Amino acid sequence: MTASTRRNLIAAIVVLFALTVVLQVRIDPTVADMNQGRKTPFAGLSTEFILGPLLGMQQAVAGLLWVRADEFFHEGDYDAILPMVRIVTWLDPHNLDVYITGAWHLAYNFTDSSERSDRRYIPAAQKLLEEGDANNPGVYDIAFELGWQNTDKIKDYVRAHYWYKKCAEERKGMDERGELTQPVPMFVWHQLAHSLARLGRIDECIAVWRKALAMSTEIVRKDPKDYSKRNVRDSERHNLELTLKRKFSRYQHEIDWELDGKLTKGIDPITGEPRPRDSYLFLNQDEIQRKLEQFKIVGETPPPMAVGQPRPPAVVPKWETAFDVRPTFTADKVLELKGRFNVGDGARVTIRLHDEDWRPPQLKEFTFDIDQNVTLMQDQHSVRQGTWGRKIDMSKDPKMYSFKSPYYFLVFEFDPRGTSPFVHDRFGWSGEGMTDKKYLWEEKEKDPPNRILRKVYRISRAQVLRRTPITEADVFPTAKYVELQTQAQGTRSE
Amino acid sequence: MAAAVSIQGLTKTYLDVWSKTEIRAVDNLTLEVEEGEIFGFLGRNGAGKTTTIKMLLGLIFPTLGTATVLGKPIGDTDAKAQVSYLPEEAYFYEGMTGWDTMDFYARLFRIPEPKRSERIRQCLKDVFLDESAWRRPIRGYSKGMRQRIGIAQALINDPKLLFLDEPTSGLDPIAHAELREIIVNVGRQGKTVFLSSHQLPDVELTCSRVAIIHRGKLLTSGKTQELTAGDKVEITFSGGDAALAEKVKAVAGTCEAKNGTCRVPAVDPQKVNDIVDLIRGAKASVVSVVPHRRTLEEVFVDTVMKAGAN
Amino acid sequence: MVTLAIAKQTLEDMLRRKILLILLIVAVAMIALGPSVGFLSPRESSAVLRSLGLAVILLAGLLITVLTGIQVIPTEIERRTVYTVLSKPVQRYEFVLGKFLGGLFTVFVMIASMGIVFIGVLRYQEGRFATEMIQGVMMTFFQMTLLGALAIFFSTFATPVVNFFLSFGLFIVGNMSAVTESLLNNKNVATRLIAGAVHYAIPNFGNFNIQNKLIHPQVVIKDMNVFIMQNIAYALIYSAVLLLLAIIVFDRREV
Repeated sequence: MTASTRRNLIAAIVVLFALTVVLQVRIDPTVADMNQGRKTPFAGLSTEFILGPLLGMQQAVAGLLWVRADEFFHEGDYDAILPMVRIVTWLDPHNLDVYITGAWHLAYNFTDSSERSDRRYIPAAQKLLEEGDANNPGVYDIAFELGWQNTDKIKDYVRAHYWYKKCAEERKGMDERGELTQPVPMFVWHQLAHSLARLGRIDECIAVWRKALAMSTEIVRKDPKDYSKRNVRDSERHNLELTLKRKFSRYQHEIDWELDGKLTKGIDPITGEPRPRDSYLFLNQDEIQRKLEQFKIVGETPPPMAVGQPRPPAVVPKWETAFDVRPTFTADKVLELKGRFNVGDGARVTIRLHDEDWRPPQLKEFTFDIDQNVTLMQDQHSVRQGTWGRKIDMSKDPKMYSFKSPYYFLVFEFDPRGTSPFVHDRFGWSGEGMTDKKYLWEEKEKDPPNRILRKVYRISRAQVLRRTPITEADVFPTAKYVELQTQAQGTRSE
Repeated sequence: MAAAVSIQGLTKTYLDVWSKTEIRAVDNLTLEVEEGEIFGFLGRNGAGKTTTIKMLLGLIFPTLGTATVLGKPIGDTDAKAQVSYLPEEAYFYEGMTGWDTMDFYARLFRIPEPKRSERIRQCLKDVFLDESAWRRPIRGYSKGMRQRIGIAQALINDPKLLFLDEPTSGLDPIAHAELREIIVNVGRQGKTVFLSSHQLPDVELTCSRVAIIHRGKLLTSGKTQELTAGDKVEITFSGGDAALAEKVKAVAGTCEAKNGTCRVPAVDPQKVNDIVDLIRGAKASVVSVVPHRRTLEEVFVDTVMKAGAN
Repeated sequence: MVTLAIAKQTLEDMLRRKILLILLIVAVAMIALGPSVGFLSPRESSAVLRSLGLAVILLAGLLITVLTGIQVIPTEIERRTVYTVLSKPVQRYEFVLGKFLGGLFTVFVMIASMGIVFIGVLRYQEGRFATEMIQGVMMTFFQMTLLGALAIFFSTFATPVVNFFLSFGLFIVGNMSAVTESLLNNKNVATRLIAGAVHYAIPNFGNFNIQNKLIHPQVVIKDMNVFIMQNIAYALIYSAVLLLLAIIVFDRREV
């Protein structure tokens, strides 16, 4: 090779190398998109798993770890799963099932010896899901799970509605190739409607049912032979009609419709107009289509109800619940409750005992480490024939119930929004029909306002350990309790 | 006749990393090899023979000096196309068959089909490689078969110039003789052979010219005939008296009388006539006048010993 | 023709190596056994199957590439076969290119075999051809092309053992592009400079890790095809740089 050839080659090398730098600058943003949410590939990993991520095989290592975590689950070793969930989601932040299953473990599977969940893990469960949702924008699964956990476990219907709404309106489902092209499944809309009912926002609830029905009708029209889709459509019709009926029966007027000289009870699910009972079952496709178009023109507001004789509203504050409870510690850390509650059988009272300074923590980042010194017990019990009672033994689980704090709040609550339809029939969705001489508390900050029952005791550690009995002098004003709970929210977790 | 190889002041030095001293593997070597001759390049192990050949083939690079091969500078591809090389103990891709090995090398010479197959067949026959071995992997070849395929690959391009580095080392006597035969045949075809060896009888039999290299330096070079030619003559005569013996002794230095026959072992050639005259003048009879001939081995040992003594 | 002859010889020679064959058999067996891990939900098992398959191909491809790349030239010198080759009318660059191409053909044959088995397994498991996985296998191949060129470059002056660690080490460093990229915005100037040097100078192997997108299609990428083309261009151009360097070094190499 002559000197000049070498010079030329070196010049070519310089030019080509510069080209690679230019390409790298172009490539970087896409790589960043691809790695979104992924931590430093080897953060927090034990050595045996370091080589894999270094070689660019994060997903495979994550997959194998997750298989291992599944084994732990079947062995009941939940504590071992949590760090694995953390690592797996770091390595592979797009594995939706890991977030969902991990959050489920956190929220449900840590329990005391009486199968009461360890609620100290709930903020972590929520944070994990939120992180997963942020790392997988556009996918509905995790947002839905957030909605569901808030409904089923936490009973925070405001947050449940927030996530269901986000899920239904801003998220997409995957097609069989995994592309985000599909509308979210109809059950997301159903849950959104239910969450609105839980918030007492019935008109919005009805509007969602109408919208869902319209969508399903269109789906069935495209694929009339799929009976599962028909079933979905029919259940939406049923729910819409039921909600309309309940709304009118609870809040407006209970009406016996007289139409064409016949006694009818049906309400057209699409227009909200009365029509022969259950006749929608016999509607043909054209008729449904016509009704749908009519619906679109009319908009979301049903036409005014003008037929029949109005009755007075069913739900008025007339039902004295006579809510009360007497708590006693019959042994160290063993709480016995005797309560009464003038309500239908099956309504549930929530019992909560927590440190005086405990607030629902707001986590900045997901961590599965919880403050082991916090005592937080929550349970519920259903009412039979106007009374209820329960023995809560917290002596067997010192890890969950350490009782390190000098003072505790012992709270008894009934929230009509979480209750069953037959209770709603008496009380309405927001407790409008309910009254109580002692413990009625109106949550005015909510829209619409909600009326709940709440009795709060402030008790000392000495009382938990039976040095002194609990008396009615320990009852703590609900207003002050609410003020304390909202004021210093989140400070505990910092 | 033009020079097939011409070497001027070729030097190769290595730095010994341990002692930090410079080792001169080849030291200011100047040499010419004529076209058509079989040239013997002699030296002990480590004398610099292989280093020289590797420099001539462009496998390593000279520190100083220049050389031309077939009139072209070192590494010239045109020259290489007409050159071939059999390294000391030929190395092959063990998994390849003999035929595929030949095919591979033929491709390196850019020999197109069908000429390629023809050439391969010819070369394998020329080196007497048994046809049953052609399609077997070289892994199973004996030493002699390997050497044959080595020569065959060196002949594939019908070269003008062959570099053979110790081609006969380690062969049994019959293979050895056959190989020598092959080399002589190659020489008869008018090809130039640059034969590096310390198998002196072979060289003496095959090479027309030799050079001796020792510790990188050229000690001597010349026609084989001339190098082995002695510079003394032995004269034997019978008859004559003690006076004659004394006279001869005075001229030649020695004269050994035994059983009526006298032997004068080492006579300078220019004194031969004088001594013969003396013998004839004394009516004695000359039995023989024999010029001394040395074997190449003797020449080599003498030369190298002398160099070593210096 | 000379380059191709050397490449062909190299490929045949490498394919005769038992170690590569064993690697291939183990990898294919692992891919084929992938579905037996699937006791998770269908979506999970699909993700595990895919990530496992791609990882096995990557790992086996990696070993094959490094073992091939560090060997092809030093073995010639060690076995002295290089004498008979370079004494023929073969330019040294032809030799380097031939050796590189031969190694690359070997890697291609191996990765393609594993890829075919992998896609076959997915076809059997999921009832459709996961054609998008071809992208993943292809990216692995180009990643290995770059790694092979790197190993060839080192092999022109380093011993195989040193080369093994050099190539592996740079592969690991080059895989941390996500880290070095994030360090480009570091407040510390020195950190920024070092990260920049590492990020742009060392072959950026992390670019080719598109498993994330393939396993989780919800990951949003602006234009996958453009990204793939950019990566292929990157691999080819950077490999050219390394091969030119190898040619320059090998030109003065004494054998």
